[in-house]
Amino acid sequence: MRRLVTAVLLVLLAGCGRTGQGPKQPVIGVSMMNLSNEFIAMLNKGMEAKARELGVTLIVNDAQRNAEKQVQQVESFVAQKVDAIILNPSEVEASSPAVDRAVAAGIPIVNVNSETRSAPSAFVGSRDEESARIAMEYIVKRLGGRGDIVMMHGFMGQAAQLKRDQGAREVLRKNPGVKMLADQTAEWDRAKAMSLMENWIQSFGPKIQAVFAQNDEMAMGALMALEQAKMKDKVIVVGVDSIADALEAVKAGRLDATVFQDAKGQAGAAVETAVKLIRKQPVDKQVYIPFQLVTRDNVAQYLK
Amino acid sequence: MTRLLGRFGLVIALAVLCAALSAARPSFLTLGNLVNLIRQISINGILAVGVTFVLLTGGVDLSLGSLVALTGVAAALFAHPGEYPVIAPVVAGVAAGALCGAASGAVITVGRVAPFIVTLGMMTAARGLALVASGGRPVSNLSPEFTALGGGQVLGVPVPVIVLAAVAAAAWVVLARFRMGRHVYAVGGNENAARASGIRVGRVKMFVYTLCGALAGLAGVVLAARITTGQPNAGVGYELDAIAAVVIGGTSLSGGVGGVGGTVLGALLMGVINNGLDLLNVPSYYQQIVKGVIIVGAVWMDRSQHKS
Repeated sequence: MRRLVTAVLLVLLAGCGRTGQGPKQPVIGVSMMNLSNEFIAMLNKGMEAKARELGVTLIVNDAQRNAEKQVQQVESFVAQKVDAIILNPSEVEASSPAVDRAVAAGIPIVNVNSETRSAPSAFVGSRDEESARIAMEYIVKRLGGRGDIVMMHGFMGQAAQLKRDQGAREVLRKNPGVKMLADQTAEWDRAKAMSLMENWIQSFGPKIQAVFAQNDEMAMGALMALEQAKMKDKVIVVGVDSIADALEAVKAGRLDATVFQDAKGQAGAAVETAVKLIRKQPVDKQVYIPFQLVTRDNVAQYLK
Repeated sequence: MTRLLGRFGLVIALAVLCAALSAARPSFLTLGNLVNLIRQISINGILAVGVTFVLLTGGVDLSLGSLVALTGVAAALFAHPGEYPVIAPVVAGVAAGALCGAASGAVITVGRVAPFIVTLGMMTAARGLALVASGGRPVSNLSPEFTALGGGQVLGVPVPVIVLAAVAAAAWVVLARFRMGRHVYAVGGNENAARASGIRVGRVKMFVYTLCGALAGLAGVVLAARITTGQPNAGVGYELDAIAAVVIGGTSLSGGVGGVGGTVLGALLMGVINNGLDLLNVPSYYQQIVKGVIIVGAVWMDRSQHKS
C-alpha cells in the first residue's frame, strides 16, 4: 500500500515538474483561501490569465479555508525559492505567520482581496466598507431619505461582515430619516436568509421598505421570501458581490441592485504588482480597485 | 401511556415557550407565523426523522449536511426547465442519498468500522462529490415545477410541511407496527441479545443507514427547491441540528429508547426557539447563547421527568 502511494506521489511530482521546464520564467507561488468559493475561483482565473499575458508561471495552492495549511503552503514556496508569493489570506490573524515567513526569507509577498495583521510587500484589494456604503446610499436614494429598513449580516466577526456593517452604518448616521428596524445574521447563507426574512415579514409586515443583505446569497434568500409573501413590489432588496444568480435577478428586474467586486481587476493588479516586485521596480504599497453599483440600467456589461 | 408521560416535560417546555412568546409578540400566535414556523423546520425535521432510526440502533450519522448538499446538486442537475419530468430530480436526489447511506452502512456492518468514523469520512467525501458534480458553482435555472416542491402550497399547506408530515407518519408506522421497527429497537437495546434471538443485525443496520441517506436526499431535494439552486456548500452543520432535535425528543444517544413522535416535538422546539428569537430581535451573539441554554435545559427537564 505504502509503495503504491509513493509511486502515485512520484508520478504526480513528475507531472508538476514538467510545467516548470522550458525557458526560465519567473515563478510566483499562489495560496488561495478557498477555491470552492465562486468569487475566489474567479480571482484565480483572472490571475492565470494575467500570468499567461506577462509570461510568468503560477503555482496555485488551495488552503481550503485553513490558515494553518496556508502557512505550510507559503513555507514550501519559500523552500522552493519561488520569485514572489501572492497570498489570498483566509484569516487576518492566523494567516499572518505566512506573511512573516516570506518577509523573513526576503521573498516579495502580495496580499490580494483580504488583509493580514502582518504587513506584506504590497496589498491589492477593495475596501469592503465601500461596497456597503454604495449599496446603502442606493437604498437611501430610492427611499428619498426616509423609511424603515432591515439588514442581514454575514458570519459575525469576519472581516467582511465587520467592514460592511461599518460602511452601512456610516451612511445611516448621515441619514437619520432612514431607520433600521432590525439587523440579524444569516451567516452568508441563502436558506438561512430566507427563514430570517420570513420571520421579519411576520413581525414587521409592510413596515419593511428595504433590505440590505451583506452578500448576494442572502439577498437572493430575502428576495424569494418576499416574492412568496407577494411583497417584493413594495420592498427594495440590495446585495453585494454580483454572483451570477444575482446578476440574472437584476436583469429580470427582481433584485434591485448588487455591488460588483472586480475579481479580474484585483487579480490582474496582484500579478502585475508581484512581477514589478520581482524586477525591483517601484510599486504602490496599497492598490485599491473600486466597487461598482449594478442596477438594471448597467447589468448587461457584467453578464458574460 | 408511559411514553406519553415521558414526553410531558418537552410538551411543557414547548407550551411555556409558546405562551411567553405570544405574550411578548402578538405576531407569534398568528396562523401565518405558525405555518411559516413549521415550514422552516421541515428540512431539519426530515433529517431528524431519518437519523432517529440510526440513533435508535446506537449508531450515528455525521454525513447528513454534506448529503443534503450533494443530493441537492444531484437533483438540480436534472431540474433544468424542459429537460426531464419533475420526478427525475426527486429520484436523482433520493437515490444519491440512499446510495451514500448504503455505502456507509456496508462499511459499518461488513468492515466493522465505528459509525462515527465511517460517516465522518462520508461527510468529507460527499462534500467533495458535491463540489465535483457542480464544478464548485451553484446549479441554478431550475424549472418552476421543481421549485414548487419547496415554495408551493396544496390547499394552503406548504409542500415541505406535507413532505415532513408524510415522512414522520410513515416512520412512525414502521417503528410501531412493522417487524423491522422492533428489530431496530432490539439492536440498539442490546446488540448481542438481538443477534442471539435470531435478528440479522447487519441487515437492520444496512436498512437504517440507507433509509437515513434516502431521507437526507429528500431533504436535499426540498432544500434545493426552496432556495431554487443546488448549492455545493449548503447544509454545513445540519447533522448537528438534526441530532439535537432527536435527542431533545427523548431518543437516547446510546440507542434502544425513543421514537419519531419525540423527534418531531424536538424539531418543533428548535424551530420555535429560532423563530421566537428573530421575532424578539435578540442580537445575534446572544441568540447563540440562548439557543445553547434552551437546548440543554429542555433535555434536562425531560430527563428529570423520566426519573420521577
